[in-house]
Amino acid sequence: MADQKSLSMTVNGRTRRGRGEPRLTLADFLREQALCTGVHVGCEHGVCGSCTVLMDGEAVRSCLLFAVQADGADITTVEGLAPDPETLHPVQEAFRDCHGLQCGFCTPGFILSVAAFLEANPDPTDDEIRHGIAGNLCRCTGYQGIVAATRQAAAAMRAGE
Amino acid sequence: MKPAPFDYHAPESVAESVALLDEHGDDAKPLAGGQSLVPMLAMRLTRFEHIVDLNRVDELFGVAVGNGGVRIGAMTRQAVVETDAAVAERVPLLHLASPHIGHFQIRNRGTIGGSVAHADPASEYPAVMLALDGVAEIASASGTREASAAEFFESTFMTAVAPNELLVALRFPSWERPAGFAFDEIARRSGDFALAGAAVGIGTDGQGRINRAAVGMLGVGPTPRRAASVEAALMGLAAADADAAEIGRLAADDMDPVGDVHASAEYRRRAGSTLVGRVLADALAQLRKEAGDG
Amino acid sequence: MAGTAAAGRYVGQSVKRLEDPRLVTGHGRYVDDIALPGMLHAAFGRSDLARAAITQLDTTAAEALEGVRAVFTGADLNPHNDSLRASLYPPTSPAPPANMLADGDVRFVGDPYVMVVAESRYIAEDALDLVEAEFEPLDPVVDYETAADSEHHVHPELGGNLAHDVAVPNPTQQEAFENAAHIITETWHQHRQTNVPMETRGIVASWQPHAGVMEVWASSQSPHEMQLVGARVLGIGEHKMVVHFGDVGGGFGQKMFLGREDMAVLVAAKLLASPLKWIEDRRENLMASNHARIEQMAVSMAVDGDGCFLAADLDQLEDDGAYPLGGPATPGAMAAMLFPGPYRMGPVSWRARTVYTNTCGRGAYRGPWQMESVAREQMIDRVAREVGMDPLELRRRNVLRPGDLPYEAPTGLSFETTISPEQTLEQAAEMIGYDEFRAEQAEAREQGRYLGLGMALYIEPTSMGMGPLGTESAMLRVEVDGSVNVFMGTGSHGQSLETTMAQLVADELGVRPEDVTLHQGHGSGYGFGTGGSRSAVIAGGAARAAASGVRDKVVAIAAHLMEASADDLEVADGVISVRGTPAASMTMAQVAATAYQNSDALPAGMDAGLEHTARYKAPPSTHSNACHMCVCELDPGTGKVSLLRYVVSEDCGVLINPMVVDGQIAGGVAQGIGGVLYEHCVYDESGNPLASTFLDYLVPTAAEVPELETGHVVVPSDTPGGHKGTGEGGAIGAPPAVFNAVADALAPFGAYPNRQPLDPDTVLGLIASASD
Repeated sequence: MADQKSLSMTVNGRTRRGRGEPRLTLADFLREQALCTGVHVGCEHGVCGSCTVLMDGEAVRSCLLFAVQADGADITTVEGLAPDPETLHPVQEAFRDCHGLQCGFCTPGFILSVAAFLEANPDPTDDEIRHGIAGNLCRCTGYQGIVAATRQAAAAMRAGE
Repeated sequence: MKPAPFDYHAPESVAESVALLDEHGDDAKPLAGGQSLVPMLAMRLTRFEHIVDLNRVDELFGVAVGNGGVRIGAMTRQAVVETDAAVAERVPLLHLASPHIGHFQIRNRGTIGGSVAHADPASEYPAVMLALDGVAEIASASGTREASAAEFFESTFMTAVAPNELLVALRFPSWERPAGFAFDEIARRSGDFALAGAAVGIGTDGQGRINRAAVGMLGVGPTPRRAASVEAALMGLAAADADAAEIGRLAADDMDPVGDVHASAEYRRRAGSTLVGRVLADALAQLRKEAGDG
Repeated sequence: MAGTAAAGRYVGQSVKRLEDPRLVTGHGRYVDDIALPGMLHAAFGRSDLARAAITQLDTTAAEALEGVRAVFTGADLNPHNDSLRASLYPPTSPAPPANMLADGDVRFVGDPYVMVVAESRYIAEDALDLVEAEFEPLDPVVDYETAADSEHHVHPELGGNLAHDVAVPNPTQQEAFENAAHIITETWHQHRQTNVPMETRGIVASWQPHAGVMEVWASSQSPHEMQLVGARVLGIGEHKMVVHFGDVGGGFGQKMFLGREDMAVLVAAKLLASPLKWIEDRRENLMASNHARIEQMAVSMAVDGDGCFLAADLDQLEDDGAYPLGGPATPGAMAAMLFPGPYRMGPVSWRARTVYTNTCGRGAYRGPWQMESVAREQMIDRVAREVGMDPLELRRRNVLRPGDLPYEAPTGLSFETTISPEQTLEQAAEMIGYDEFRAEQAEAREQGRYLGLGMALYIEPTSMGMGPLGTESAMLRVEVDGSVNVFMGTGSHGQSLETTMAQLVADELGVRPEDVTLHQGHGSGYGFGTGGSRSAVIAGGAARAAASGVRDKVVAIAAHLMEASADDLEVADGVISVRGTPAASMTMAQVAATAYQNSDALPAGMDAGLEHTARYKAPPSTHSNACHMCVCELDPGTGKVSLLRYVVSEDCGVLINPMVVDGQIAGGVAQGIGGVLYEHCVYDESGNPLASTFLDYLVPTAAEVPELETGHVVVPSDTPGGHKGTGEGGAIGAPPAVFNAVADALAPFGAYPNRQPLDPDTVLGLIASASD
């Protein structure tokens, strides 16, 4: 059996250390060792986007990375997006305001994807939003609330800057 | 859905990487962006005793301009290819093709070298590379060699890169301007693999006659294909006279499509040749625009 | 007759969801988030063959792998279960053999035949690679159309592949056909799809040997089904089953019943006396959880010269797969009975059959009998085309009008006066701008563009009040500080019940929604859970009744303490005040503190405490109705269809939370769009599933689903609060509406589609064969 590797990365601003075989996915490391259970595993083959996290600021599928590849990286999960426990990030706020979630399972991945998308496209058209968020699957909302939330968050983030 | 165990190597140079591949041969697999390899590992459709992770090999990253073209390191992320100004200016087809690759989260990790080396016949960069006569730089413990795009793609998922070799860079020529470029594909959903796609470049002489035509196709054969009949029909034509839809239909002869769960071979041939005509029309329109601007 | 039933202070408002703060910050607790000390992990070895005898099964090497705790085969595990019968399924009906793991033979690709328990899921999957199994392939039964006649039997124990065959002929139907101006016939096909909750199935089971208690966390729509059937499987009492209910990532019918894997985990956890987790992976979910909509209905319809529907003859055939989830079902009978839908129709004869095949078992999927709407609405468009009438006009001519109500359908169903099909038809036509569209469509055709409009009108029987489905309970307790806990038998998995039940309680009791917490699972009273569009009416009825019972006591106590007349008191937002004298008031907390901590101050003879339990029994059916209209554009070069507009006019009675209602509709519509245009669980001729990843099973993304416009007609039902169920409706109306839109766009080519999916290849093929 392959050796265990020691792992260290910054997760939501704090150093997290752990151990794992090289095959341990980043998603499983974040869930089981960093205890960020907001990282949801929906397909384990890189399509559904539920496990999306920000690695060094960029949205990535954490099921398609081995934890050892993220050694030394700076990871943000949905738990670390809001500035403090009393406040929601504008994207989180917008998802709540616009009914952008029902069962909530795809939501953390969507929120991080939308946050990253808006970072790169601060003033998107509806069509850009629909294609921009097409890398995440939702089975509950028919995307109506998610598109509306992305619109609202874009406006809020522009106003906040 | 968890991958089988493997030994993990994280070399920091090409020399170190090819030494590992040389040592482990068939038992080793280079890991680039992992957007295709990791799902296959997770489903245990494939397994390797040794994974050679290229993500810490700095010399494999980056875009360099020179020698009449652009050299792109194999580990350059698709997102970088998509947004790099030099690529957009000098090899517009790469810029145009990039947004069709999966979704932005995929392109943040996926690499141009990984995409080309994986050689999925439905993926975008191989078709662009073939259309533009790109060149692959391949390293091994015994040195570096080159392979033309035509030699590179041998069959589905099979390339000229041997198990002990590593694709280190791709070179694409810049075209003289004015020229027109267009890329499009038919996919079931936004971001899906293409059922059929086309990458077209058209260049003209001073009199507006087509003297350069490159038509690459994806999803319509076991490898990316060139629409040689379309290219031949275009050469020497006055760009203004080209009937794109009519000429595009010729592409059907250059296809060797394989059916799957998403579309039959017949569909790929029929819709694919319609698409070639449309993309050709787009490229001609771009050419007119560029010639007019110039 | 629109909406007189009272919208309340909170009911009728788009109250922001109480679920959301935890869910948008990653603090939901789904089953895979449960980690117990010493917890082990299960993985299942599954058949790669559709039908085969197991000739050898050797688990020695797997057991020897470091980190493996146990390897179970069917022979090990199956004898331990008492009964695997789902509670909706009558024990006397013929059914496939009850087993958790295949034993002796396998009957579909994905059939579990071995279960490994190990220290991690990684190791469990390593061990599966070491299980030595040999199979002797047998001819599989894959095609459901010929299954009934096949010499090969999916379940040899049953002696044939026909699961159900029900026929209800109507002699007057023949007569009507003889006198008809037109008889139009077509067989309408749906195709194999699956529910795809974003969270797959999963369970954690922890046996406490000395207490004799099984503690369970499960991704379930019905915690009480888990409690009841789980206890039965384990041979223990329900009082020893502790089923925790956390966040559940969708189900759409898939999580109503226990799967064979759930039962295997329960039994194995008890045998091992170690906490055990199984999380289904996506491939398992797509190939072995449940499939649905594998069905066809042959329809003949008789129409008179004015386009009036005279009679119909129906023949429905459905594929049950090998092991239908929840037991062999007969949605075909329901589909046939509902076929007349929102129209006046003469006599109907029908037959409904279900067959077994060597494929993944059928299960409930949002609107399990929606074949009635699919076949009827697609048929009406076909009739319109055949008799040369506009499809909206044809519907107008036959639709049930207020004056027709109440109405007894020729198949025996009764519709109450509170349905509004004509109103929703007209509202949808208005919203989409029907006449303007037809002009635009004609103009587009001149320019070589192919637009199509499809519509579907339906009635949905919601909140069925029979058998185990008939009731729900609510146990409501005002705590000492005035906050409210309510315990219910529901299983909210995206339906927002924590919010909507709180809204109902808030209005009825006189508190704020955020003062109310809904508890589901352990500690609640029996209920069938959340599904079947039943929670608003049935659970809502219980919540309302429980709150009302407590409110009476609150008022009585307050009146006593404030020396006021109970009739003069009003309760709102946790404050009880004398009407017209706002200064004279007290808080819910003060009343509650008195009820619990100062009971001597209560009115003479009043029991201490502030709690009430109520159980609501629903009427047999509460019908909602809706009309969907959508516009598509078809690219004749590629066969691709894009939806440009989508309109729904619906009547779910009094809306508890309009935002939630619109969300339920939108989700169902997206599933319907997916079903018609993208999703298909393809099998090859050998019974191999070809769409077992998300690269092949195409759930629509935001780019494929258009903006949805919803309109509401509000005719209150006769149930308390005037609500009607709405959870499934979107998925009932959308398939025929989308199908009809594509068929309309294809009409200029002379193409007549009769099956889905209408993927680009199929569409291009229809155009090509029509022009041949």
